[in-house]
Amino acid sequence: MAFHRITLTVNGEIELVDVPSNMTLLQLLRDKLVLTGTKNGCAAGECGACTVILDGEPVNSCMVLAAECDGAQVITVEGLAHDGTLDPVQETIIEQGGVQCGFCTPGILISARALLDRNVDPSDYEIRDALVGNLCRCTGYLRIIDAVREAASRAS
Amino acid sequence: MVEVVGRTKVRVDGLDKVTGQARFLADLSLGRVAHARVLRSTQAHARIRRLDASQARSLPGVRAVVTGSDCPGRIGHAIGDQYPIARDKVRYWGEPLSVVIASTPEAAEAALRLIDVEYEPLPAILHPRDAVREGAPLIHEKLSDYPRDPRIHVVPDSNICHHYQLRRGDVDSVFAEAFLVVENEYWVPWIAHVQLEPHGAAALWDGDTFTIWSSSQSPFFIRETISILFDISPSRVRVVIPYVGGGFGGKSDVTIEPLLAVAARAVPGARVQLLLTREEMFYGTVVGRGAWGRIKTAVDEAGHLLAEEAELYVGSGGYADYSVWICQGGGHNATGPYHVPSLRLDSFGVYTNTPPTGAYRGYGHPEVHWMVERQMDQIARRLKMDPVALRLKNLLLPGKVNALGQVMQDYNGRADLCLEAVQTALGTKRPPSAPRRARGHGIACFMKSPVMRTNAQSGAVIRFNEDGSATLYTGAVEIGQGSNTVLSQIAAEALSLPMDMIHYAPRVDTDFSPHEWQTVASHTTWAVGNAVRLASADAVRQLKAAAADVLGAPEENLEVSQGRVYPGGQPKRFVSYAELATGYRRPDGSAVNPPIVGRGTFVPQGLTFPDPDTGQGNLAASWTFGCQGADVELDLDTGQIHVLRLVSAQDAGRILNPDAARGQVEGAMIQAMGATLTEKLHFGPDGRIQNWSLTDYRIPASADVPHMEVIFIETEDATGPYGARGLGEHGIVAVPAAIANAVADALGADFFEIPITPHMVMESLEANTSAKMI
Repeated sequence: MAFHRITLTVNGEIELVDVPSNMTLLQLLRDKLVLTGTKNGCAAGECGACTVILDGEPVNSCMVLAAECDGAQVITVEGLAHDGTLDPVQETIIEQGGVQCGFCTPGILISARALLDRNVDPSDYEIRDALVGNLCRCTGYLRIIDAVREAASRAS
Repeated sequence: MVEVVGRTKVRVDGLDKVTGQARFLADLSLGRVAHARVLRSTQAHARIRRLDASQARSLPGVRAVVTGSDCPGRIGHAIGDQYPIARDKVRYWGEPLSVVIASTPEAAEAALRLIDVEYEPLPAILHPRDAVREGAPLIHEKLSDYPRDPRIHVVPDSNICHHYQLRRGDVDSVFAEAFLVVENEYWVPWIAHVQLEPHGAAALWDGDTFTIWSSSQSPFFIRETISILFDISPSRVRVVIPYVGGGFGGKSDVTIEPLLAVAARAVPGARVQLLLTREEMFYGTVVGRGAWGRIKTAVDEAGHLLAEEAELYVGSGGYADYSVWICQGGGHNATGPYHVPSLRLDSFGVYTNTPPTGAYRGYGHPEVHWMVERQMDQIARRLKMDPVALRLKNLLLPGKVNALGQVMQDYNGRADLCLEAVQTALGTKRPPSAPRRARGHGIACFMKSPVMRTNAQSGAVIRFNEDGSATLYTGAVEIGQGSNTVLSQIAAEALSLPMDMIHYAPRVDTDFSPHEWQTVASHTTWAVGNAVRLASADAVRQLKAAAADVLGAPEENLEVSQGRVYPGGQPKRFVSYAELATGYRRPDGSAVNPPIVGRGTFVPQGLTFPDPDTGQGNLAASWTFGCQGADVELDLDTGQIHVLRLVSAQDAGRILNPDAARGQVEGAMIQAMGATLTEKLHFGPDGRIQNWSLTDYRIPASADVPHMEVIFIETEDATGPYGARGLGEHGIVAVPAAIANAVADALGADFFEIPITPHMVMESLEANTSAKMI
């Protein structure tokens, strides 16, 4: 098995790691960097629990090879709060009741942040569309959708 | 003074969960772990002729390989019918045959492929109807020899693992003379829970002490099962539960834990971890529902229900597990929320060659409500009566007697108010939004009572800290339902402390947590909440006794508020909880009181076993009544059902946390919508589940969700804390029938099974068209 030496920036910290060719970005984050906030719900790109922002785009980290991430910028749920201040969408998802078991929450927050980064005033349709790859079995989604809308309005 | 309960409070676990700090099973740092992988049967029903693991055992990195012969005995709470790992015979596709324990996942996976299995295939039963056919193959040949709960009635030399019957009155003569008799067959298929967190556990044998970390709803149940299986004291079994990523019943009772205990026994001193894959989540724990039923109802001309005859068959899967209680609960509730004078109900749990059927949110109730509430709409149509008016005539209102012979009390809630609220919320049916579309409204009522141990225990301990804050311990598992928050609210209210002075110990550990039956049956707020309130009262008594000494005032005159104790009317003459918490000291240094530790325990009173002949008795401690409505639009060219609105009203007693309560109901409604429109486990002829991924087994996504309205009627429950009742499961119960009734309203076509697919709608439309052409 070939190993690849890569450097990447995770939540603002530069990391140097050797990764085997078949290691996914999700495995790198969870197993090697012990950033366990990113969840493994299916390992098949179907549930969205492992969503991270990779160079500005939300991706299922279980579907990305770590070796491809040389030079990349990665943001995980642990990187959403800054200096003890929560991201607005972290605040609003608690306030609106969009958190229940919390297993899908990290991926949802990341997808929401990626949406708000490219669209400061998303419509209901655009919010639902941005979250369509993030399955949630607890909430029925409406409170999550409300939370994203509220976070957008707070920022503007 | 009520200040905390009844008001929305932000979740106490919210910050942990939005920052990625909440630890689930797979996030725990357990040091070096060995990895377990499970070899599963590729036959649905077969004898195991030969199983050779010798090559696997000699693979580098493999620490042990265990098989059925390593299991010390059988498990099964109601019927001891299951080896944690199959021995002699397999009874469903995916049943564990062997477990490999290796130092690395890759070694464990490679070893699985080296195990050689030879089967003698047997005919498989994949529908409950086929399990009771003449000449059906026997799935358990020695059924009558298994140890079982005395309430379980097996039928020897059959596939019937439990027969529950309910009898009242002379049903035959009522049917003979009835104005109208309506009879139909219904089917609710097997479905998957699809918790976002796959089930996992890690286990360690250290001498004769066993520890397991598990993503489970039932720590004390696991403890009991393991202690019986290995014949050790429960005090030698420790079960630790971190945050759980969704349960819905699929992580209740026991699933992978006994198997992992057997595996870990082979490598003493090593922590052995088993994390199920998403595929294994479809057949490696339990599945839900699988109920086939026939209901026959007699009514008079005015629409009064007179008699009901029902046969319900719950497909248990290869092992009876909890499904016998599903069968029992379905029987208890087979009238739906209605008074029916004469009854002949038979509910059967039958073995099938499918994964074990376990608890799934609301179990027993969604099955029978699908049948009863579809039946009610058909009766209304035959009588040319408004379906709301028909239901109002028959609802179990206070004073009425339910199927079990229990008289409904004022505090049991008002089904009629729920029905009226849903009718009002649905409003007048609007025309379709486009040509070639049809619109329909549907309603369905429900009742739910927990199926529980008659001695289902709950406990709570409250320990005061030096700053006057309190740490609350219970055995309730936070599975997303918000129990940590609501139980903290109850403690805050009863102790008269602000919420931020209550610290809820966020994990359950059977070595430290008070005993708890299970986190199931929507009973946590009700039962554990009672225990928390009693523990708080106990702590307040201790605080007042100490304060009486300190303040030189009679104890009975003391009041508490916001962390202070003072004589009534003299709030400035106070002593704070902080001063009393760990022992007040007088100026000379002498101690007034020991540390404050409140203790509260609760068990429902007066529950009994059912009468073996009539099936009646005081079987349920609490009911919640409700009604649900659907507003749907059908595309007549594609058969697509668009659910535009779902409405739910339930009388859940006083609502302690409005946001959390609403979230429970909304989530349940969307789960039910999935079961109504898309969700079904498809079994191939070989018994293998064909749609074992989240692409092929489709649960609702953000784009599918309709407008939802949640209404609470708050008739306070005399037996619950601050008047609360259970509500977590209820939103799932009547949605399928409400949607199907709305589809029938739009289309004039009746469906008797779910999911109702576009294909089924198109077939029905085409059948109507060709009927008109003839």
